Amino acid sequence: MNRVFGWFKERLPVSGEQLRELTNEPVPNHLKLWWFCLGGTPAYLFVVQIVTGILLAFYYQPSPSAAYDSVRYITEEAAYGWFLRGIHKWGATLMVAAVVLHQMRVYFTGAYRKPREINWMVGMLLLLSTLVIGFTGYSLVYEQLSYWGATVASNLMDAVPLVGGFLKRMLLAGDSYNPRTPPRFFVLHAAVLPVTMILLLMVHIMIIRLQGVTEFKVPGETMIKKKYFNFFPDHLLTELLIGLFLMVLLSTLATIFPVTMGPRADPLATPEVIKPEWYFYVAFRWLKLLPLGVAVLSTGFIVFVFLAWPFIDAWIRRRKPESEASVWIGLAGVCVIVALTVWEAVVQH
Amino acid sequence: MTGEAETTPENPERRSFLATAAMTGGLVAGYGTFAMMAGRYLYPAHPADTSWLFVQDLRSLKAGDSLVYRTPAGATVAVARLGSAGTDADFLALSSTCPHLGCQVHWESQNNRFFCPCHNGAFDPSGKAIAGPPADAGQSLLRYPLKVENGLLYIRVPVEKLSDAARDFEQAVAAAGAAGCAGCPRRGNA
Repeated sequence: MNRVFGWFKERLPVSGEQLRELTNEPVPNHLKLWWFCLGGTPAYLFVVQIVTGILLAFYYQPSPSAAYDSVRYITEEAAYGWFLRGIHKWGATLMVAAVVLHQMRVYFTGAYRKPREINWMVGMLLLLSTLVIGFTGYSLVYEQLSYWGATVASNLMDAVPLVGGFLKRMLLAGDSYNPRTPPRFFVLHAAVLPVTMILLLMVHIMIIRLQGVTEFKVPGETMIKKKYFNFFPDHLLTELLIGLFLMVLLSTLATIFPVTMGPRADPLATPEVIKPEWYFYVAFRWLKLLPLGVAVLSTGFIVFVFLAWPFIDAWIRRRKPESEASVWIGLAGVCVIVALTVWEAVVQH
Repeated sequence: MTGEAETTPENPERRSFLATAAMTGGLVAGYGTFAMMAGRYLYPAHPADTSWLFVQDLRSLKAGDSLVYRTPAGATVAVARLGSAGTDADFLALSSTCPHLGCQVHWESQNNRFFCPCHNGAFDPSGKAIAGPPADAGQSLLRYPLKVENGLLYIRVPVEKLSDAARDFEQAVAAAGAAGCAGCPRRGNA
């Protein structure tokens, strides 16, 4: 055994001390609170998505005539296909929820403030990427929702000033949904977006390591004697415990609420009642309330405000240092998002 | 003397600048060309051409009648005859694609309107938007040009070459129709 270690040590000149330094990032004690472990949750789910996604790709065929049947084969015939697809689908749902909750935690604790503005923006890009990868994912099944979701989204792009027409044609590989469209969604979903997200995650984590974890005074801190604890193994064990819980939760959801096949896409008939996935309810309702141009531009403006929020908040705090405006604006935003989501969920049209 | 020294080829600063410029230029030209080729490769060729296609013999479509026509690209068109003068002014050809975000509208006879289920758009029988986001934006259903020649009705619609991929798509559409599309319109030119 020593000879094997020696062989590796000769070729990989890393000492135990260096490894300890690399992994023993001191972590503030508030990370013992579960609420502060939400960043690791989407990262864990992302790994689950990559593993199950690779397995699903072995059978998936991205073409209008074969896509639906290949997904049906995975769901109904391939051994454990129903389970793997269920994990992938529920993993996507939980990942969106976890990223949103993580972003909310960062927002309401003010962890985006100087010097962490750039990491907030990287996090926002990760949130947007998560939503887009979710959308491109359910567009692959070639169900009615897939087809009409892709049609609506591409026409939404068309309404973006200047570049909208170009983006729409690039996404659809034409002026409307056509035989060359599904491969584009597949490449985006299975290659372009995952690689983008991996790169963004690397930057996100690198910045956290460079800046250190944000420190807060949280209620109950005085009861904890040590101010810091080690990332390895203490915090990693917490994350592993969360991972175990998530795996149990995903397996349970995939078994109790298995994914099924919706109606096959029919380019000639939009269903009487059509809804996107729950995380797009707010945008769907917004589109019903406002004319297209206004809805698209206002959505773009809201995304811009989210991205630039650390700077807007800093501007407010320069004028009123003790201002709690960010909390109230955040609460109002959450209320509007929840209200529009619930509204869309409870009505047919 | 100093100026002379700066312009001699042996000047290391100048050499370094030229080397950097050449390297940068080479990289930009090389990768730029590749990016241009990749962009051109990914951007779809060109919008589909349009052509006049046969719809119906005038004698078999009386005033007040309507039919659903399907273009070679798969779009559905509601064609109605409103008069009996025997000219193209008698006819109306409305796209069933909602101008808001591209969903398919359907006719609601009880409300005398076309309705889009995606975002609640509604249109009167002439295709004019009367409710929902299309009405707010003043978007009406697209009208296709029609012409009458020798007692035959023609429509100008986009046509696509039937590549293997297009045939693939046609099969998928046909499968969807076979799977239970009630009142599915027939193929164009049929």
